[in-house]
Amino acid sequence: MSLDTSSNNGTSKPERKHYDRTKSDDLQISRTDMNMLIMNYLVTEGFKEAALKFQQEAGLQEPALCSSLDERIMIREAVQGGRIPEAISMVNALHPELLDNDRYLYFHLQQLQLLELIRAGRAEEALAFASATLAEAGANDRIALTELERSLALLAFPDPHTSPFADLLLPSHSQKIASELNAAILKMENQEYTNPKLCSLLRMILWSQSELDKHNVKYPKMTDLANATIEQPK
Amino acid sequence: MQQLTVFMDIESSRTYIDELYSSDPDKVMEALVTLKNSVIGSNRQKSSVIQQGIVPRLLQLMTDDCLDPTIRLEATITIGSLAKGTAENVASLVEHGTTIILVELLKVVPTGLRLTEACLCALRSIFQHPPAPISALPADMRFLTRLTQIAREGSSTSRACVVRILSIWCGGPIEQEALCVAGACEAIAALLAMRGFTSPPLARALPALDLLAAMCFENANVSQAVINTRHGEKTIPELLTALVSRDKPLSVARGAARCLTFIHRAGALASDDNRVVFGALPCLARLCTKEMPEDIRATAAETLAYLAEVDTALQRLAAISNHLMSSLTEIVVCPSPAAKQGAFKCFASLGANDEDIRKRIIETHGVMVHVVNGMNNPEPAVRLAAVRCLHSLSRSVQQLRTTFQDHAVWRPLMQLLNDSPGTELLTVGSSTLCNLLLEFSPAKEPMLDQGAVEMLCNLTKRPEAALRLNGIWALMNMAFQAEQKVKQRILCTLGTEQMFRLLGDGDTRVIMKTLGLLRNLLSTRNHIDAIMAEYSSQVMQAVIVVLEGSYPAEVKEQALCILGNIGDGEKAKDLIMANEDVLRKLVDYLAHPESKLQEAALFVAGNLVWRGEAGSAARQARLADLGVLRALKLLRARHDAHHLHDKVKTALAQFSDFT
Repeated sequence: MSLDTSSNNGTSKPERKHYDRTKSDDLQISRTDMNMLIMNYLVTEGFKEAALKFQQEAGLQEPALCSSLDERIMIREAVQGGRIPEAISMVNALHPELLDNDRYLYFHLQQLQLLELIRAGRAEEALAFASATLAEAGANDRIALTELERSLALLAFPDPHTSPFADLLLPSHSQKIASELNAAILKMENQEYTNPKLCSLLRMILWSQSELDKHNVKYPKMTDLANATIEQPK
Repeated sequence: MQQLTVFMDIESSRTYIDELYSSDPDKVMEALVTLKNSVIGSNRQKSSVIQQGIVPRLLQLMTDDCLDPTIRLEATITIGSLAKGTAENVASLVEHGTTIILVELLKVVPTGLRLTEACLCALRSIFQHPPAPISALPADMRFLTRLTQIAREGSSTSRACVVRILSIWCGGPIEQEALCVAGACEAIAALLAMRGFTSPPLARALPALDLLAAMCFENANVSQAVINTRHGEKTIPELLTALVSRDKPLSVARGAARCLTFIHRAGALASDDNRVVFGALPCLARLCTKEMPEDIRATAAETLAYLAEVDTALQRLAAISNHLMSSLTEIVVCPSPAAKQGAFKCFASLGANDEDIRKRIIETHGVMVHVVNGMNNPEPAVRLAAVRCLHSLSRSVQQLRTTFQDHAVWRPLMQLLNDSPGTELLTVGSSTLCNLLLEFSPAKEPMLDQGAVEMLCNLTKRPEAALRLNGIWALMNMAFQAEQKVKQRILCTLGTEQMFRLLGDGDTRVIMKTLGLLRNLLSTRNHIDAIMAEYSSQVMQAVIVVLEGSYPAEVKEQALCILGNIGDGEKAKDLIMANEDVLRKLVDYLAHPESKLQEAALFVAGNLVWRGEAGSAARQARLADLGVLRALKLLRARHDAHHLHDKVKTALAQFSDFT
């Protein structure tokens, strides 16, 4: 990503203490750069059709579609749709070593399966499943054990969706695991960036802001990432 | 897509396992996929199916070349998954002959297939569980060439697997040479030069660096071949130098610096080569700094210790500012044994040859406390490293008198030496003791109480020459200017029989130090008389044995010096005078062509004729009779004995009838 700084010669400019969006920019961000960021996001996250359409509309060159894009799309759909054995089977066909190498990820997938059973109200099956498969990971990893306990705790509530652990049943949880799996596949294929570059940019903003906060600097702060809302300093 | 149940319990797994043995290939395939999906990710499942005895069937399916290749592939992948289980799982696989079967498959299967990749993955997983079945891989040139070809041309995964397997397999000179001939160097160069985006991704570079290090370790031929190997325009050393820079991941930089170190120590790069001085050395020093993770610092210190072990210039360079030594002081207090070990070894190397560096280590960085702690550490490797450090520092004669005494280092040292140590610890420890005994007068007493004399005498009986030497050398130092009772203790414990044995030792240095011991024992007049009163016949016999035997000149010189010392004793003189054999030899040696022997004989004669002693006239007459006077006169006349003339004149002046 390139940021061009235009040079001012001759006339002295009044010193600006803060960034004013209404004045003309010294910092130019090119449209091409933005398009490439968006394309990278679409490809990494597996939005194949959207990527192709965007490529057409934006007039970009053929996107570098990794060989596994189709598979990754199907795997993500299976995970988010709660069809975990199918997802696992596809991952094992694509990269047989992946889940053996990353047992924590494997645990997360099994956990999703457990949550499916809990969501469907099949409590006895859920317990049997947990002791047959998940207990192994829980025995070896403290963090996994805590997460397992949280998951099983859902069974104690008559309506799990109103329990303190209801976040586990939300679609956002399975999306998170789906992204984890996606990143693991990309890493296995030696892709340098396993997360979309947009992610890195957003993290950079958050980090810069926290550094500035540490030094008590006043600056226009982006308080809402999703809407890119910037609040002026008081 | 097959309908998968939500989970498999142990009982229901039996049904699909039975299908593995079916003659219908479709059923077999289905069962294989189910099996594979059940074992990936779960060690419990792996153990369970292995116990149910499926390994032989899987191996059968792998090797049957009439079968559908997909079946063979799935069977291999399943074996690969089993190999990622527990150590017991892997041991079971090896017992069933899996390693050999994988090797055989790799010999025949075409290299581009997925089956090859699956075999390599499985083999790599097996090799990563110690003890790796190294013997299953033959040092067969065709096979190795195949593997190195895969390392150059295969898929990314295959390349990584081959390199990892070979780096574990490469254990000694045979494997090193074989790999070199089979083209491993070129494959490594290609891997190091690969560009992912701007630098080789970690996954590719690290195993290649490990393999390179394993190949170059203590092997001059391979190291020489490596420095001439190119990929494109760059040689391997150039590629390595690019990898030690600050922007590379720490483990990659460490690995590259390690390779350069091994190549240098094997003799292929000089110690003043830029790639060593500006490449490996500063990188390792940087990796030792406080901000680095502990495991990186530990191995960097150990590698740096090896790099600077023998070369004074490198030691001085590394110690040039106090930065490195401050970093090492931080490392030595880290909890892990590897860190302590690395730090001690590095201090030992830095202080090996330069007095100033030793002084700085001891004074500026307060290392002695850590050394004493290290000698009491529960880990044997740490104790050994601490003793090595002490050994280096003990070469500092000044410090011996002050610092070591303050820290009473001899106490834990004696404890270690008495505690049935291994040969390595015994060698380094006894060398250290040798050095400590040089100056350590007040500490000699307590050391005696701790059984130092017995321990050292026992060392002189060991089969290892280095240990015998250290033993007798330490005794020699102990006897230097010691009290009579110390000397008596030494003679008594060693025994004259053992002394004679040592005088016939195969190693000349041992003989020299034995004679040195005798010399030190026979110093100070009343000691000489006391000892000769008890041991005269043995001592004279020892001297005669050496003078008559075919020993090198320097050894005979020592014997003559001993004789000279005896000649200084009041009553002991008579013992020499009574021995005509010895006196005739004396005459011969005064005329010997070898200058140092003349000088030593002169020393003997000088003591015997000394006018100030009682009975000198009688002795002079006797000696003149035997021809000593004539010999002295001849000596005075010789041009090549010019430097001895003063002493000759003095000796001649003793004779009463010579004015």
